[in-house]
Amino acid sequence: MNRTIAAIASAVALGFAATGGHVQAQPLTEIKVSYQPALYWALPFYVAAEKGWFAELGLKPEFSTFPAGVPQIAASASKSWDVGGTGSVPATLGAVRYNLLTIGITNDESYGNALVATAKTADGFVKNPASIKGQTIVLTANSTGDYAVQSCLAKWGLKKSDVTIKSMGQAEIISAMSSGNADLGGLWAPNTYTMEEKAGAKQICSGQDAGAAVPGALIVRADYAKEQPQSVAKFLAVYLRAWKWLNAHQPEAIAMMKKFYEQGGVTISEASMKKEFATRPTFDLAGQLKIMNRPAGGGSEVDGWFTKIGAFMQANGTFPEAPVASKFITDEYMKMVDADPKLKAFANRAD
Amino acid sequence: MARSHERRPVWVGVVTFVALATAWYALTTLTHTIGSGRFPSPAETWDALRQITLTGYADARLAEHVLHSVKLVLLGFAAAAIVGVPLGLAMGASRAFEAFVNPAFLLIRPIPPLAWIPLAIVWLGLGDAAKVLIIWFAAFVPALINSYSGVRAIEPYLIEASRMLGVQRTMYAREVMIPGALPMIFTGLRLSLQACWTTLVAGELIGAIAGLGHVLYQASLDIFPAMIVVGMAAVAITGAVMTMALGWVERRAMPWRRG
Amino acid sequence: MSATVASRELPFARWLALTTTGFVAFFGVWWAVAMSGLVLPQFLPTPLAVLEKFVSLTQAPFVGYTLQRHLASSFGRFALGFGLAVAIGVPLGLLMGWFRTLDAVVTPLFDALRFVAPIAWVPFAALWFGTGIGGPVLIIFSGAFPPCLINAYRGARYVEPRFLEAAQTLGASHWQIITEVLLPASVPSIVAGLRIGAGLGWQSLVGAELIVASSGIGYLLVKGQASISTAIVMSGMIAIGIVGFAIDALLRRVERQINRRRGL
Repeated sequence: MNRTIAAIASAVALGFAATGGHVQAQPLTEIKVSYQPALYWALPFYVAAEKGWFAELGLKPEFSTFPAGVPQIAASASKSWDVGGTGSVPATLGAVRYNLLTIGITNDESYGNALVATAKTADGFVKNPASIKGQTIVLTANSTGDYAVQSCLAKWGLKKSDVTIKSMGQAEIISAMSSGNADLGGLWAPNTYTMEEKAGAKQICSGQDAGAAVPGALIVRADYAKEQPQSVAKFLAVYLRAWKWLNAHQPEAIAMMKKFYEQGGVTISEASMKKEFATRPTFDLAGQLKIMNRPAGGGSEVDGWFTKIGAFMQANGTFPEAPVASKFITDEYMKMVDADPKLKAFANRAD
Repeated sequence: MARSHERRPVWVGVVTFVALATAWYALTTLTHTIGSGRFPSPAETWDALRQITLTGYADARLAEHVLHSVKLVLLGFAAAAIVGVPLGLAMGASRAFEAFVNPAFLLIRPIPPLAWIPLAIVWLGLGDAAKVLIIWFAAFVPALINSYSGVRAIEPYLIEASRMLGVQRTMYAREVMIPGALPMIFTGLRLSLQACWTTLVAGELIGAIAGLGHVLYQASLDIFPAMIVVGMAAVAITGAVMTMALGWVERRAMPWRRG
Repeated sequence: MSATVASRELPFARWLALTTTGFVAFFGVWWAVAMSGLVLPQFLPTPLAVLEKFVSLTQAPFVGYTLQRHLASSFGRFALGFGLAVAIGVPLGLLMGWFRTLDAVVTPLFDALRFVAPIAWVPFAALWFGTGIGGPVLIIFSGAFPPCLINAYRGARYVEPRFLEAAQTLGASHWQIITEVLLPASVPSIVAGLRIGAGLGWQSLVGAELIVASSGIGYLLVKGQASISTAIVMSGMIAIGIVGFAIDALLRRVERQINRRRGL
């Protein structure tokens, strides 16, 4: 029954779009969604678009993709996008520079951000982490990969000044490491899997190993959130539903992931794709509310994670003062989804 | 720009600059029409300049960055000149040699220098060598083409005269061919230098630890518009200075040419 | 490069033999190095491997589109940026060549900006234009604009004074002088400027797409790099080279036609 209604709704929406608005139906609100291609936490956007769930809630998404978090954040200055997903480090940068709000958590990617070593050097570094002193590590600055690597260094009692850090894009890192021109790199999944499968590299320490929680963030421009809070809540509901579906339908999920990753130029084995699902927990509506909940006078779990990240970025010299987590992280829109029975039901659907 | 005999009224240029500077200040600091996230105010730019000159940014101070960049440009430029000029002269002087070398040249030439970055990393790693290679690709082509044209443009009567007088090959090269081609060689070198400089920034995206390109890259990663402006200004000024220096060398090397 | 001869012309047979040898030598050395086992396949794939990859990229999509569509996407941006550079640069150059005051106003600005490498505009392009087409167009414009402007300016400034005197004696207006004396006289210079500008514009585009793009040939290059496929990277390089060559060849042709008609 629900499926029929959904199908009719989608057909009407499509018909509306096709006829350019002559049909007397609920007009779709345009919403500009940004993400980075071939990433695990962006998969829900793809799935939701394919399955027409945006249209079901009256949204018409316009997608834009970026090669990394920083250009994505920079583009918000010209209002190129309204909502999106990104890493927690760029999200913090966005909060400081452009008043971007973090309204939810895409996934816990602590395992997916790691220090990777080439095949011939990995074992040596694992046995004796102190030997990393004096080495060169290539990573993408101001990213979750950066954060994971520096957390790993801290875990081994090494300082940033003990190593030489060179900053470059993920593609260059992969190229340098696979051609034997760099031994250590900070990468995020699925690039970690590309390196493992195609170059025999090994992940020697992830954010998880270093005890650093690396979340991914759902973000929105502050002024857009003020203008269109309903659309923001709907966007969240769509995202949550997509994760529910993905977690409940693994085989189909893997198939869609394969297509989505290929669109972004990434081909990894099915085993690695399954590993993504296994190692990166996601949060449904109840879960999101729980980790974002602020007990009286205190900070939430999410606040704690972002405070550490802010401190890291401040130590890096990215900004003079770390941002206050409670100022840019808000569960207001998740609460809106929870308070609206229709949206709540939508967000909890696993079909 | 114009080597005319009429002086352009200088004061007009000054007035324009003052007007722009005022507009900059007004739009950013006074009225906040342009937010600081999109373009820095004069004050922010000044702060960034002070930061990079005195305390340093992106692992070094401004002077070190400039020196590092200039070093790479000169290396690439020298390597391109050393290969391009003799090759171009030889191709201009000998049709046979030209016919042999041309295919390789025609195949390599259309590929933009920046497109070589991925290969450069694979071949040479992340050190200076890869960056110099990219810059080399940018500078090599103008140097070669202009040397070639320079030889080809030598007045036929000079060639005939040398042949008639039975001038030796080497003497011909030294006394006729090279001086004759020199103006165009220098034009080629000037274009090479500009190409080097514009490619440098891209070259320094390959994991540099100092250099103006690195400053720009780091500033864009930090989304630090004021530092981006400082970086761009530094790139422009250094490039202009190098071009002027080359012009000075050109005038000294060819005193017989007026303007 | 007109043939004011520096050495005697080659007989055709000899030229053909040498050119073919040069061609063969190039691919031969490449193939030998790739096959020698001295280097990893990732380091240098054989010419054949690259050709195969090139062909497969035209048939099967990579990162969303086939090679041709990526090229078309890039070329569209190029056309827009280059068109803008020509539309603004050429008229402005002519006007500056004629009106001293305009020259005095614009030249200092122009000299200040022209040494900024086009790539250096990429960070700002993202801030000002976000994801729109404005970003790449700005980069291409910054590469293509200077030659268009400079050559139009030079063409106008160095027109034979007697033409100008004649026009002025006949009572021509400013507009008439610009369109009927300066413009025709500057055409060779302008076309040369267009050719250089087109080359610079195309190169700048590639650079911009390496850094911030989600489609286009530069993006294909980066993604090939991320997949550890040097063959894809080289295929992309070849495609870029082919298009760049085609643009240049076309403009060269136009230049030759124009010069021929003027008896130069």
